[in-house]
Amino acid sequence: MSAQSTTKPDAGQPATDYRPRHSGFVSAASHLGTAGQPAPELTRKRRSRNREGLEAGRRSTRTLLWIILAAALVVYGFPFVYLVLTSFKTPIDTIAVPPTILPREWTLENYTSALGRSGVLASMINSVQTAVISTLLSLVLAVPAAYGITRYKTPSGQVFIMAALVTRMVPPVAIGIPLASMMASAGLADTPIALAIAHTTISLPLSIWLMASFFEAVPRDLEEAATVDGCSRLGALWRVVIPVVSGGIAVTAIFAFLASWNEFLFALLMTAVRSQTTPVVIANFQTQFGLDWGSMTALAAVFSIPVILLTLLLQRKIVAGMTLGAVKG
Amino acid sequence: MRIPDRRFALLLMAPAAVFLAVFVAYPLVRLVTDSFFKISPIVGGSREFIGLANYAEAFSSEAFTSAGWRTLAYTLIVVSLEFALGLGMALLFTMLGKQSQVWRTFFLYPLMIAPIVAGLLWKFLMIDNFGLVGTLLHQAGILSDPNQIGWLSDPSIVLFSVAIPDIWLTTSFMCLVLFAGLQNIPGDLIEAARLDGAKAPSLLFRIILPLLRPVIAVALVVRGIDAARAFDTILIQTNGGPDSASETMSLLIYRTMIRFGDPGLASAMGTIYLIAMLAVAFVAVTTIWRPGKDS
Repeated sequence: MSAQSTTKPDAGQPATDYRPRHSGFVSAASHLGTAGQPAPELTRKRRSRNREGLEAGRRSTRTLLWIILAAALVVYGFPFVYLVLTSFKTPIDTIAVPPTILPREWTLENYTSALGRSGVLASMINSVQTAVISTLLSLVLAVPAAYGITRYKTPSGQVFIMAALVTRMVPPVAIGIPLASMMASAGLADTPIALAIAHTTISLPLSIWLMASFFEAVPRDLEEAATVDGCSRLGALWRVVIPVVSGGIAVTAIFAFLASWNEFLFALLMTAVRSQTTPVVIANFQTQFGLDWGSMTALAAVFSIPVILLTLLLQRKIVAGMTLGAVKG
Repeated sequence: MRIPDRRFALLLMAPAAVFLAVFVAYPLVRLVTDSFFKISPIVGGSREFIGLANYAEAFSSEAFTSAGWRTLAYTLIVVSLEFALGLGMALLFTMLGKQSQVWRTFFLYPLMIAPIVAGLLWKFLMIDNFGLVGTLLHQAGILSDPNQIGWLSDPSIVLFSVAIPDIWLTTSFMCLVLFAGLQNIPGDLIEAARLDGAKAPSLLFRIILPLLRPVIAVALVVRGIDAARAFDTILIQTNGGPDSASETMSLLIYRTMIRFGDPGLASAMGTIYLIAMLAVAFVAVTTIWRPGKDS
């Protein structure tokens, strides 16, 4: 499986050649990516071409499709709306039989009790710290590695990118315990740094794949011109290529951040009180304090809403990254 | 003076490679080594080499084999439902065209939600007595009693119920990938098929699906791997219960390690699990995906 044929998967293809050509993961992924951010003019062309094809023309058909879409979106969107509504109910109403959708009485009680609980605010700080360290570590390691893989196409690079793919198949539960004991013997037990390193084992392979597809899209002449002008290879990478792929770096950073922010199993295995992240605290509400659904929904809302807003703001970039990486965030 | 390109590339890759070697490969080596020992869970406890005894114990234990089948069933449930729903939504968005763009974004939001939160939320929706799902189905006249279906308490359906948050979370991903693939099918081709009198089903099965095949393969393999490792959503909803009816491989290994304090046995299970995952992924990649076939 080689990534040799991955350069410009679509650009040169004649219009009649409809058959997607793939030789491996990267090409499949970058092929998908053309519907997203990296090649906007291509996207537009494809969409308009598609309109005559699959897009429904008849008015009655379209109305019916809109109704189906509306129903699907209500079903899909409702669960989280219900979580938020529940967080405003009084603690007794959260477990009322039969349950009501809207709060009978709106209150912030759950928020004050959830956020006032000891360890909750500290866990949010831990979550931010861990995610930021892990994101930076991922980028620092993935950017040069992905560049080395895509620019020089050495056999070792091909082996490396396949190895990164295999890493994704490792079940976290299998390496969690040895990793925890390694951190303990390095004197890092129960620290955000240890957890950030563990999270980077998840986000690094993904970041390498993402960055590799972004570098793939950068024309080689760019650095050649820079090196002719007397730039070193490292200088060309830093001053010429990195600015061009800064959008891609942002996408990769978001994915690495999300992977760490939402991670639970490593956090459960590797942290005690001091560096506990919010997902572990949310899960602990269930056992430690009985079933306090009110506080749990309030904390879950506080934990999730900023990330949802952030991603909605940056959605174009994220859609591109998602299809490029073809990996769950 | 100049370092050859080859070595320069190697230098660029070295930090990441070292990181993965130290923090992924080495723990894996330790996992495999541990699987040959009887280990006391106490810190500084005894280690005794027992050869393949842990493997023999794993294969002869009913909990292990049924967790294996359960993991397989869970993965099939999640991936097939997700694929059907994701393809449906992708076709819907494609047929509505540009006007549906805003809603496409909205449809992505579950991808940002932590699996632990999704598991909690669905537990809250499906829980006996005050769960909303049972109540709504009762009010709609489908169920005679809101508690008629014990979503999370009936061992015969619990594996399906714990899969729901996973499906809810990542159908968007399936939809996104398939949607991107659909955009690459040229309109002329669909037009031509329509002119030849192709009806919707044959359009779907004869033209669209075969053309999407590489994209479908990527999506199925990626999601299959993720689903087979599911942990958070199941732990928070049922903790593997009732009667271990939702105990998948990740949960069993976790419990063997933490609750039952047998790291050696857990390592053997983890090793078998990892080898099985690699084997299945390899078969999937070479048969469905067939990379390099078209080039």
